[in-house]
Amino acid sequence: MKILLKITVLLIPIIFIFMFFFLLTEKKPYPGADYKEFPIPNFNLESLYESEPLTNVDLRGDYIINIWASWCITCRIEHPYLMNLKNKRIPIIGINYKDERYDAIEWLGRYGDPYDKIIYDFKGLLALDLGVTGAPETFLVHDGVIVAHYQGEINNSIWSDVFDPIIKEKEMFK
Amino acid sequence: MKFILIILFSINLSSGTLYEFSSDEDEKRFNSLVKDIRCPKCTAGSLASSNAPVSEDLKIKIAEMINQKKSDEEIKSYVVSRFGTDSLYEPEFNKNTYILWFSPFIFLLISLTIFLFRKRA
Repeated sequence: MKILLKITVLLIPIIFIFMFFFLLTEKKPYPGADYKEFPIPNFNLESLYESEPLTNVDLRGDYIINIWASWCITCRIEHPYLMNLKNKRIPIIGINYKDERYDAIEWLGRYGDPYDKIIYDFKGLLALDLGVTGAPETFLVHDGVIVAHYQGEINNSIWSDVFDPIIKEKEMFK
Repeated sequence: MKFILIILFSINLSSGTLYEFSSDEDEKRFNSLVKDIRCPKCTAGSLASSNAPVSEDLKIKIAEMINQKKSDEEIKSYVVSRFGTDSLYEPEFNKNTYILWFSPFIFLLISLTIFLFRKRA
């Protein structure tokens, strides 16, 4: 009987040690990153500047999608890095999220426009279909399929840790 | 005084229901769904308790889907496909969650066996 008790007493900490070992060594590079692959949802919205209709057909090739708004403070912090990506000829599609058109255009005029195209998503409909919870968020898109998603500000280290492995694996932006 | 009263009452008159449904049953379904689904922006808290912009959007979408006669399962799978499996308060029953669902019974069985074994010894 005492042996049973001793085994139980020994077993409990061992189970806990293994549990923590597995939980803590699990490979999750960043809390805000996920790699679920899904196609770009169908949408029919307007562009920010010209109010022209924009749909899935207008997006081709490899690009990143960046969710931003003029009211979003973190987007302002992220902005120089996006300009840097633009200089490296990475196409960026902007989704202007729950913003006033006038404020958004003024914001871009003041700080610079890193985007190739900007989708004006006033109601956040496309963003909801993409699984966006707020701004800024960034998606990596390969042939119309989302291959990586990051919630929060992207910068050099996020780019190299979250996006770069996928870009190399899929040979994107060539 | 009269003026204040008029203003007070007109505020009440202008407030309608936020989400419109064709039947009371649909409204009940909506209310139970928003309690079962987690707010995507919050660490803890249901959609019902949240006023975050994304929760408001998701509630409008759920109301829309209910009015399109979509089933609870279809609505839940929409939410899960967008915001992940942890957006449901009650985890789905599939091969990834078997341990979660069965472990209490397994532990109960083990402890009962030990208990019986102890009694006999």
